[in-house]
Parts: sequence; structure tokens; C-alpha cells
Amino acid sequence: MRTILKVENLVKHFDKKVAVDGINFNIEEGDFIGLLGPNGAGKTTTIKMLTGLIRPDKGKIYYYENIFSRHTPALKKLMGVVPQQSNLDRDLTAHENLYLHAILHGIPKRWRDAKIDEALEFAGLADYKKTQVKTFSGGMQRRLVIVRALLHEPKILFLDEPTVGLDPQIRHSIWELIIKTNRIKKTAILLTTHYIEEAEKLCQKVTIIDKGKIIATGLPDLLKKDIGCYVLEIFQEDQIEERFFKTKEESLEWIKRSSYPCKVREITLEDVFMKLTGRRINV
Amino acid sequence: MFNGFYGVLYRELNVFRKKAKKQLMAASLSPLLFLIVFGLSLGRDVTVNGIPYITFLIPGLITMASLNQSYSIAQEINISRFYFHVFDEYLIAPVSCIQIVLGEVMYGMFKGLIATVLIFVYALIFHVTLTLTPLFFVSILIHTFLFSSLAVAIAMLIRDHGDQSTVNTFVITPMVFLCGTFFPVEKLPPFFTSIIYMLPLTYSTKVIRASLTGSQVDNLYLLIMFMFAVCFFFLATWAVRKVEA
Repeated sequence: MRTILKVENLVKHFDKKVAVDGINFNIEEGDFIGLLGPNGAGKTTTIKMLTGLIRPDKGKIYYYENIFSRHTPALKKLMGVVPQQSNLDRDLTAHENLYLHAILHGIPKRWRDAKIDEALEFAGLADYKKTQVKTFSGGMQRRLVIVRALLHEPKILFLDEPTVGLDPQIRHSIWELIIKTNRIKKTAILLTTHYIEEAEKLCQKVTIIDKGKIIATGLPDLLKKDIGCYVLEIFQEDQIEERFFKTKEESLEWIKRSSYPCKVREITLEDVFMKLTGRRINV
Repeated sequence: MFNGFYGVLYRELNVFRKKAKKQLMAASLSPLLFLIVFGLSLGRDVTVNGIPYITFLIPGLITMASLNQSYSIAQEINISRFYFHVFDEYLIAPVSCIQIVLGEVMYGMFKGLIATVLIFVYALIFHVTLTLTPLFFVSILIHTFLFSSLAVAIAMLIRDHGDQSTVNTFVITPMVFLCGTFFPVEKLPPFFTSIIYMLPLTYSTKVIRASLTGSQVDNLYLLIMFMFAVCFFFLATWAVRKVEA
């Protein structure tokens, strides 16, 4: 597998506040990486730098070993971008939005309509081809933005909080679309999220980011195993204490000796974040 | 090769098509009001520089209406930048900034030329005789190019919607009223004259009016218009290169 994206010591400040503080990571072809962190951790800023929407203050970005700047059109062809806020044109139809993308990304005219039909089919929006986007629900808009980003067959897809604000049922349909994209189209994906369940369910590898720094990276199961497999929550008068155990038996043993009410559960990435930062991710 | 240019124009013209009725009504109403108030009421029996006031006024209204329509793309870009983030799609796309600017400017010129046609319709209705010369076509193209480029530059340089209103209030509106649309600039007190000769609309109004009324056109003014247009176009391209989402 070749390395699509290599990020070296990326730094971004907004006024005097550090938004991204010297991050490094690589993405290989076909990878599915989750950038997990709380709101304000620097996830969106990272995506914006990687896609040329903002300039980094320091650091280098390479796509297939070519250095990337905001004005390198050839490298922009390699990426598809799904921003956090839908940037579809509300006045245009689904077909017109995709057609605009096809023109901007240099898809030859003779292929445009066929590719658009295929994309709308993939998103389950074939019946809404001629419908103005302003009438679409949040989930339909998300699906359209995702297939729009895939229309020019990018090598890497950036998904910035793709399911934020969507109800659970629609979230699952978006997940299916994202998984299909990675498995069928073999597109590498970098997904940012602050939903633990989303990172655990979708991503092969997770990178945890907090206050602009990467604090852990690895396979979700290995990250969890590093601190244990089970969590014992001990409900004390003024706080909930958490203890980590390798086996369920060890935790049950501990319960017998405890004078407080306790609960055992399997460890999650949220516990990993908690262990590393002392805070919960979704606060 | 010109994907950025075609893409921007495709989007803008499609959106315009869907709102054409509203856009045309907006473009035609204010010049009609000015025509009724100044041309047909206040200036009915007045002559300026030896021509009836309404003949003097119509070229001014052409300049003003085409400026307003060309410049109105600033507002549209502003909304697509700050509210709907449609402009981000251009910035992410593998196209050069100059193509984005060219697409937007071409759309601004299209809107400005539609306003021009509307004023000609008024001229026909009110029996105002104007002479159409090649110079008029050259000057209206430079004029709409100039103010469309300024619109793109301003839309990129401002930081929010409030800044846009400030520019309109302190630059565009005074320019429209002072730069010879409704009266010869020579009638202004000397202090104002020195200021308005720094503004591009003064030259546009003089050249377009002279070309339509058969007067002598000062080539220097045409050259100054051209220089303003080139400067604003490069300013717009520089601003798009610098802009961040």
C-alpha cells in the first residue's frame, strides 16, 4: 500500500490560541482513520488545512510525496471533501449540484450524466434528481454531499463530523454509505468525529486529538486493551471512581470488597480519552 | 482547461435563471423611480449642456443601474461565503483563482448588461433619442467589468455581512450620487470635484454619456477606466488567493 497523505508537524494558531499543535500522521491507500476528539480539539482546522481551505502556520503536507499548498490543483483532484456544514447550493437541484462539481473537477462532458446517475443511485437519491436541494431533509443532504465528494473518484475522502445533528436512524444510513465507500470504492477515509460509537463502529484506526495535539493513535481494540478490558464504576458520595481491569473476574472480585455501589461494563474509547486527559470527550 | 470559469458561470446563471423574475423586477424598479422623479417631474423643462435633462439623465441611469447590478454580485458572493458556504466548493476544487474571478466577473457583467438593456427600453418608451456607437459598447463592457471585479475583491476582503453594508453606505452610495449620474460633476464645489475624480464612476459616466449623446469622448478617461478595471481585477484575484474559509 502506498502512502497517500503524510502530515508533518502541522501547526495553526488563531490569534494567540493554538488550534493545531504540531501533529504528525500518515494515511495509506484504502485506510479508514478516525480523528476522535471533543469539540474545539482541532479536528475541523486539521481538515481545512489538509484540503487547502486555510493555510498552516507551520508544517508540511504531502500527497503521494508531493508537497501540497493551497494552489496546487493537480493534488486537489486526489481529495473529496464532506464539510461539517452542508455547502450544497439550495437553489439548484441534486443533478445541478453534482453537475457543477463535475465541471469544477474536470470530468469530461460525455461521462458527466452517467456518473451523476450512478452517484444518485449509490446514495439512494435517484428519484430526487430534479428536486431542488432546499426541499431535502438533513439526511438526504448529507448523502448527496458524500456522493458529490466521490463523483470525481478521489483517492482520499475527508469527512468532517458527517453525522452531527442527525437522528440515530439516519446516522445508521449514513454509516452504511460511508462503509460502502471504503469497502467497495476502496477510497481512503479520514473521518473526524466526537461520537465514540461512530469511531468504534467505522474506523480501522483511531487517532485521538485533544487541544490540538495527538495524544494516542492505534487500532481501537489495542488502544482499549492498553488500559484494560473492563471498567468498574464505583459510585461514591461525591464522585464516580473508575478502575480498569484486564478480566471481568478481577473486577467482580473488587466489587466484593467495595462498600459502595458498583457497575462493571466493557471499556470504550471514551474511557481511553478519560484516562489520557482526565476529561470526558462529549462534555 | 477553463473548468473553474465554466463551473462558476454554470452555477451563477442557473441560480439567476431560477430567480430571473425577481432579479429583473429589482433591476428595473429603482431606475424607473429616478426617471419619473428627476427626468419626468423635476427636470421636465430643464436643459443641461444644451440637451434636454432626460437625455442627459438616461446615460447616467445606464451607468448607475449597470453598476448596481454588476456590483450586486458582492452581496451574492457574501451570502454564498458566509451563510451557505457554496463558495468553499470553488476553493476546494482543482481550479485556479483567476478562473473563479473570471467566472464571477462575467456573471456580474451579464447582470450589468441586462440592466443596461432595461434602461434602453425606458428610453424607447419615453422617446429619448440616443446614438449607439462602438465606443458605447466598449465603454459599457469596461464599466461592468470594472465594477464586477471591484465586487469580487470587496466580497473577499470583508470579514462579515456587516462590513458589506458599510462599504455600500460609505463608498458605493455616495459614488452613485456624486459622480455625475444626475448632474454634471463640474457643478459640484471644488472640494468635492477633487474627490470624485479619484472615483472610477466619474470616468464611466463621462465616457458612456458622451458616447450616447454624440459628444466628444476624452480618450484619457477611457484609458483611466481601463486602468481601474485592470487594477480591480488583479486585486480580486489576489484577494481570492488569500481568502480562507
